[in-house]
Amino acid sequence: MDRWFLIAATALAAVGGIAGMWSVHKGVRSPWTVIWMIAAFAAQIGFLSVRGEARGACPLVGLGEILAFLAWSLTFFYLAVGPAYRISLLGVFTAPVVVIFQGVALLPGQLIADPPRVPGTDAWHETHAAMSVLSYGALALAAVAGVMFLVLDRQLKDHHLKSGLFRNLPPVRELLKSTVRLLWLGVALLSIGVFAGFMMPRQGGTAHLIAACAVWLSYVGFLAIKQLRGLTGRRTATVAVLLFLVSLSVFALV
Amino acid sequence: MELVCVGLNHRTAPVEVRERFAVPAGKLGDSAKQLLEIEGLAESVVISTCNRTEYYLAGEQAEQAAAELRRRLAATHGADSDPHWYEHHRISAAKHLCRVVSGLDSMVLGETEIFGQAKEAYRQALDAGATSGVLNRLFQRAFGVGKKVRTDTRIQEGATSVAGAAVELAEKIFGKLAGCRVIVIGAGEMSRQTAQALVSRGATSVFVTNRSFDKAEQLAAEMGGRAVHFDEWQAVLAGVDVVISSTSAPHPVVLPHHIESVRRVRKFRPLFLIDIAVPRDIDPACGDIEEVYLYDIDILEQLADEARTRREKQIIECDRIIDEELKKLNLPGT
Repeated sequence: MDRWFLIAATALAAVGGIAGMWSVHKGVRSPWTVIWMIAAFAAQIGFLSVRGEARGACPLVGLGEILAFLAWSLTFFYLAVGPAYRISLLGVFTAPVVVIFQGVALLPGQLIADPPRVPGTDAWHETHAAMSVLSYGALALAAVAGVMFLVLDRQLKDHHLKSGLFRNLPPVRELLKSTVRLLWLGVALLSIGVFAGFMMPRQGGTAHLIAACAVWLSYVGFLAIKQLRGLTGRRTATVAVLLFLVSLSVFALV
Repeated sequence: MELVCVGLNHRTAPVEVRERFAVPAGKLGDSAKQLLEIEGLAESVVISTCNRTEYYLAGEQAEQAAAELRRRLAATHGADSDPHWYEHHRISAAKHLCRVVSGLDSMVLGETEIFGQAKEAYRQALDAGATSGVLNRLFQRAFGVGKKVRTDTRIQEGATSVAGAAVELAEKIFGKLAGCRVIVIGAGEMSRQTAQALVSRGATSVFVTNRSFDKAEQLAAEMGGRAVHFDEWQAVLAGVDVVISSTSAPHPVVLPHHIESVRRVRKFRPLFLIDIAVPRDIDPACGDIEEVYLYDIDILEQLADEARTRREKQIIECDRIIDEELKKLNLPGT
């Protein structure tokens, strides 16, 4: 049952992304992407509910569940901050990322069929896991906004201004503001996650926590430089994308 | 019941003729009411803008009334204007109004100002009691058609002037221009137009610099901005978002090192450089700086040309919508 919810969420996000790309290609704005993404979000909640019921805890055991939770978090932030953008276009860029995360989660061996209950749940552990993955949703959306900026920046620099994509992309300054705001939000949530990580009872090695701290420090350092010294839009966007991709490696250490 | 449109516009009459027949903006209703003295005329609306003066007439003998109107106009304003007038009858008059309201008959294809001007002319005629069943229905339908044409086609898309193209790009970079700061280097006509277009969209803090300081002061006063001596403009660069340059200098005025020197102070914020001078004022190497978006006159003119071509391609679709909508009108006199 849970797997079907995730398959449905993946299919809905894929349809939303393709429909959005088609409307962008035609040079029109369509509200349909957000509608498909809302449907995908509902299916994601279905998956997490069934999985959470079975686990008796936040379903964040193993890479499959983490990626599914991350996809939910990304969709949640997209739907929450979408109105600040031209909503369907942010969806066009977000949907493929959601499809990739969930597609990997659906690969054989990533989601066990009958997940066992998590023994002796701990509030700090739950907070650490939930806040960390939630923060990754915000950081992922910052990376998506960064990609949108890089596309627009290239088009403006090269004077390629005819495409439907160019017409529908939000202004440079708004994309940069949104990227930075999402980074701050992600770092704030990650701070709670890392703090809870120090408070929870140790299980096994500390490599994961060290990696999480390294990610946190990288983002804080990056935002400090951006705030104090300033960074060009291109560097801000590039670093937001690269840091997110590198930070995904933390999950390999879970 | 007959329906007639009598008019002259920018295509049929030069400005020296059009200005003779212009009706003051506040007198359109009175003028329409006065026309009803002509025998056979029951309703009228007068539209008068800088590009056209048109009389929409409805009545049992509106065609005769139109001829009488032209005689009167010739008598009061001079007979030499007669070749400049055009007439549209019945459905052709209705279609013409729809095209006017939709901006298809305007000098700048698809412009929106005419919609408001026609609406105001109709309101004044209505208030003056110069309209009734036929023209009320016709104008209301025409406004509906005008909105549909603008919504369902791309007739308004893209800026058709250099200044307009610059403003569109500025909005693509900065979003709303409220709070944007602009420096104008060289107080020529093109810079004035471009800066004016930016100010009309909300840009504030306009700085103007020119080799002749008097000219800079004059343009700055016009824009509500501040004049800057020509040897001091680099100091202002750190605080602005847009640079418009249009001097007659034979060599580049804005060089990469000018921008490099203020990048840190600007915290690497986006900078939009508009070079509308020939020869160019801004060294093309400035465009290689990451946060700089550089556009010269050729690119801006190309954008405006493309927008005009796109709009022209939309005319057939607009006319199709107008024909379709007029078929539904079933108006007496058409």
